[in-house]
Amino acid sequence: MSSLFGTMAIATGALGAEQSALNATTNNVANVNTPGYSRQRPDLVENDPVVVGSVTYGTGVSLRQLESLRDPILQVRIQEETQQQGQLNASVTAMQQAQSQFTTSSGDIGTEISNFFTSLDQLSTDPTNLSLRQGVLTAAGNMATAFNNTANNLSQQRSNLDLEVSQDVKQINVLTGQIATLNNQISQLQGVHQDASALVDQRDVLIGQLSGLIDVSTIQSDNGLTLTTSNGTALVVGGQSFALSTQTNAAGMQDVYGQGADITTKLSGGDLAGILQVRDQTIPALLSNLDTLAAGLANALNTANKGGFDLSGNAGGNLFVAPPASGQGAASSLALQITDPALIAASSDGTPGSNGNLAAFSAVHDQPVAGGQTPTNYYSSIVFNVGNAVANGSAELSSSQLILNQLQDQRNSISGVSLNEEAANMVQYQRAFDAAAQVITTINDMLYTVINMGTLTG
Amino acid sequence: MSSIRANPFPMPDLLAALEHLQQQQNTATLQLGTGSKINQPSDDPAGAAEMIQINDLSSQLDSFQHSISSVSGLLSSADSALNSVVTVLQRAISLGVEGANGTLSDSDRAAIASELGGIQSQLISLANSTYQGRFIFAGTAETQPFVADVTAPSGVRYAGNTQTNTVRIGQGYQIKVNLPGSQIFNGAGADIFQAMSDLIQALNTNSGISAAATEVSTAYTYINGQRVFYGNALNQAQTQQAFLSTEKVDLSQRQDTVSAADIPAVASQLAGDQTALNATLDAIGKMPQTSLFDYLK
Repeated sequence: MSSLFGTMAIATGALGAEQSALNATTNNVANVNTPGYSRQRPDLVENDPVVVGSVTYGTGVSLRQLESLRDPILQVRIQEETQQQGQLNASVTAMQQAQSQFTTSSGDIGTEISNFFTSLDQLSTDPTNLSLRQGVLTAAGNMATAFNNTANNLSQQRSNLDLEVSQDVKQINVLTGQIATLNNQISQLQGVHQDASALVDQRDVLIGQLSGLIDVSTIQSDNGLTLTTSNGTALVVGGQSFALSTQTNAAGMQDVYGQGADITTKLSGGDLAGILQVRDQTIPALLSNLDTLAAGLANALNTANKGGFDLSGNAGGNLFVAPPASGQGAASSLALQITDPALIAASSDGTPGSNGNLAAFSAVHDQPVAGGQTPTNYYSSIVFNVGNAVANGSAELSSSQLILNQLQDQRNSISGVSLNEEAANMVQYQRAFDAAAQVITTINDMLYTVINMGTLTG
Repeated sequence: MSSIRANPFPMPDLLAALEHLQQQQNTATLQLGTGSKINQPSDDPAGAAEMIQINDLSSQLDSFQHSISSVSGLLSSADSALNSVVTVLQRAISLGVEGANGTLSDSDRAAIASELGGIQSQLISLANSTYQGRFIFAGTAETQPFVADVTAPSGVRYAGNTQTNTVRIGQGYQIKVNLPGSQIFNGAGADIFQAMSDLIQALNTNSGISAAATEVSTAYTYINGQRVFYGNALNQAQTQQAFLSTEKVDLSQRQDTVSAADIPAVASQLAGDQTALNATLDAIGKMPQTSLFDYLK
């Protein structure tokens, strides 16, 4: 048979346990809108029973721990999808900017190429007419300007992306520093078997932000959490973070270095990878296509002009400044060689009124001048590629966003705080608390009875 | 926990749905505004690429049409100049026939010769016709083609060249737009100036008038034959003009197929999106503002 005091102790323990449980509820309610917060659940356990003779007496309840509800595997999936999403978002945003250069307008390359060839047709009807000749020269100049503008805008965009690389690296270093600090605090707490869930939540939020910027693999080991990029470059090992750095490369762009090695081409996720992809691959490929087209056109038209005679009967020279032999930079540097409309070599026989050589110019319209294609076809395939890259990237981005939303939903259904649930818990714990308090009052009465037993008989 | 716990935060999903709808609406509004479903290459990459080719083709067609109207002006002036030449020559021929009549006096023949001299000048002037400041019958030279020259047998020398120009009036379709004056007026055995000069000479000397008159007739027939070139070229240009107009219609239909927004479809989609948007907003508005907490006293 247990003592009244023993029973009292059970009730007192229950008061404490219910109060702690209520504390968890309160904390959940307080953090209902805190990003990354994982709800806590009081882990109530029966105390070990006492056996007296043939009877086993329960000894009440105690709170083993406040358990944070989280799914680490899901967390990793979220991080992975965040990386994917970050990369796509960065590249699609950048490509959308780039494609605005290729949207049909009054001054895009395609329109200017068409206008140039149209101006030649006009001149052929009256080859000595100086204003028609000026029209050809102006159209050629406009075409050169369209190439210049498009190439320069793309280069400018590339420089802007380069600035973003440095900014991303700075932000990554701040985050890895914070994660390392949290790692330290977490392992200290865990070392003395204390609950570090609040810090773990914070760390998950930071890793989520980091995932948006760079590809991160997490490895959980005994001595804490290790974060590396997918190619194995350490970012955080336990309490130590390893900062990334940038170095200017030969092309004047920032390369990303981790632990002394150039990892620029090895990043596969996050904003940084998306930016680098557009900066180092997509835009340079576009620029190179434009160079091929500009050089091909300029060379073919120069050949045409050299094959005829100008208004004074002299053999024609270059219409455009000869593009660099390698073709590199041809689009940004395309410029007219001549400013005098009389120098257009329209004549095929040296007589001023001949338009015979203009056919050689017009033929360029249908000649393979770049990549085996006519100027217009080559340009339209550039536009197709740009549009296709944006369209595919956008589609991938939406599906990645959808997946991420679903993963977040899953996470929330495990870790998110439900106010209804918390209200129900609160009522439950309060009732239990009330009951335990009532038990104490009752035992108190019983003790009073026992203490006053003598007085009653006397 | 046996069943899957409900996600207590439905708001992000609803916001994502709202954003998606908003984006669709923006796209639809843009399509209605521009009337085109391709407003940037990514809207339809293949369509955008095709549009560049269509636009190029369309500006080429415009250009061909423009060329045809410029060239038609030139061809018409040439044709009408030659028409005048023919008319004038008919008069010369009848004068020649009249001069061959043996009953005429010397003074009658001198009067005819004098009139024929005037016709000769008129012919030279017609052979030097210009169109917008350019000599029509000078080949590709920029100089006056027929100049008086006493050293020349006919008294007229050709100073132009024998080149011709062609002008594109269609894809791979070029027409010759001029004949050199030497070909028209100085035909072998049919040199009009020579024939005229011979006739005047014959009248003045009263010998070989019939033969000289025949020479003028031959030249007349020859020039009439040359004139056909301009008539044909004009016909070609006009036929091509009509063909280009049809082609432009075809092209603009192709343009529509590739890029024109399906206005009724877009408008009804916009309305549908609006309904969905309203429903979503409604759903958000009707989301419980309360929790169990509100019901506990």
